[in-house]
Amino acid sequence: MLPKRYDQARPFATLGIILLVWLLLPLVLKVFTRATFFEIQAPLVVADSYAEDLRTFWANRLHSKDELLKAGKDLSGLFAQYAYSTQQNAELQAEILRMENLLNLPPMPAFRFEPARVARRDFSGWWSRMIIRKGSNYGIPVGAPVVFSGGVVGRVTEVHRYTAVVDLITSPTFRLAATMSGDNRPFSYQGGLNDAFKSPRGLAEFVPLDVHVTRATPKRVVTSGLGGVFPGGLTIGELAELESSPDGLFRIGEVALDERLGALTEVTVLVPLNPEEQ
Amino acid sequence: MRKQDPRWLIVFAANLLLWWLVGLANDYLAGFSLHLYLGGLFVVYASLQLDRKHGLIAIVLTGLMFDAAEPVPFGTSLFLFGLIHATLLYGRRQFPRESAVFGIVVAQLANLFLFIALSFLLVGANPNPAGAWLRLFVDLLASQLVILLIAPWFLALQQRTMEMLRVHPETGRRVAS
Repeated sequence: MLPKRYDQARPFATLGIILLVWLLLPLVLKVFTRATFFEIQAPLVVADSYAEDLRTFWANRLHSKDELLKAGKDLSGLFAQYAYSTQQNAELQAEILRMENLLNLPPMPAFRFEPARVARRDFSGWWSRMIIRKGSNYGIPVGAPVVFSGGVVGRVTEVHRYTAVVDLITSPTFRLAATMSGDNRPFSYQGGLNDAFKSPRGLAEFVPLDVHVTRATPKRVVTSGLGGVFPGGLTIGELAELESSPDGLFRIGEVALDERLGALTEVTVLVPLNPEEQ
Repeated sequence: MRKQDPRWLIVFAANLLLWWLVGLANDYLAGFSLHLYLGGLFVVYASLQLDRKHGLIAIVLTGLMFDAAEPVPFGTSLFLFGLIHATLLYGRRQFPRESAVFGIVVAQLANLFLFIALSFLLVGANPNPAGAWLRLFVDLLASQLVILLIAPWFLALQQRTMEMLRVHPETGRRVAS
């Protein structure tokens, strides 16, 4: 029989063996295991999302007809604006197509809009992610951009059978090339400035020296379209303050993001129609 | 020992329930830029009460469950949970492991270790690491407070489930009702 000290150290030896086996395990088995464990948890995540929708439905049923009619009346003006914007959009799309044919330009990226309900939000100091209720069953690819009415939400990083994981623009691992609205010079945007009980912010780096903003006249930060993932012109946030970078060659500042990012219930995934061209 | 020994399954199911509840809480707290990490609480009962084999199975499955849902290298939580499990197994006979207070203390210390280990692993990606540590400190404070509040309930839940199924957590023998 082993001495007591060695007998008690057996758990560490077991752990070492498990670690060794894990390191030598083929990648395909690890990928399969990860997908399996994620799918085990997915029904729990999605179920409470459906329960929340049901709760909202029955809460709305309690409203009186007068309240619903008033809400519909308030929205009718907004619908009229959106209808006009949709008509304008169609005319502008036709004009762009005419210009592309006239000038022999490559086509702009085209997307299919896939709306999806948000099932779960996970905003920690290490990452910012959300799980949406659509996955490969709706043809959502990895890397697809995700947007909402206020602009960019993030990028799809994982796709499973019925769910997908979105890395938000507030995540430290999220970076993209941005520009100021009305300017075509790109600079870097990175998420990650998420203090507790405060609005989310991102970091703008390598901003040109001649860009000036103030709190009274902030500038809108939009996607540049470079990289082919996000179409250009989508709102990221607002830049109200800039300071010189440590090397003095550029300027850096904090981008104020939309406060609704923490309470989104529905987003739209832009599924590329021609992924091989991007 | 019982032919069909469900001890690892009971603990894993309880951990799955807690995982779901913590996910709900984090979903609600997302709007306040606050996050709860209760990894230490998932390890305590399996490490202090179960025998080595069933405790290891429950810990491995729980670690894989964590890793599947988090953007960390797959196997990170598996290794960290396994390390805590091995450490607790090494010295648990010297402490009053039946005591709820001891369980709470162990959960707090284990969670602190896990939180700091994950932070050192992941904070480098942040554009402002110093500011990130401040946010992480607030999250850690909230997480430790929540563990203090719910650890007695969670440990009692698992113990009571074992009692209802009339199985001793460490030996696996049938106990009288």
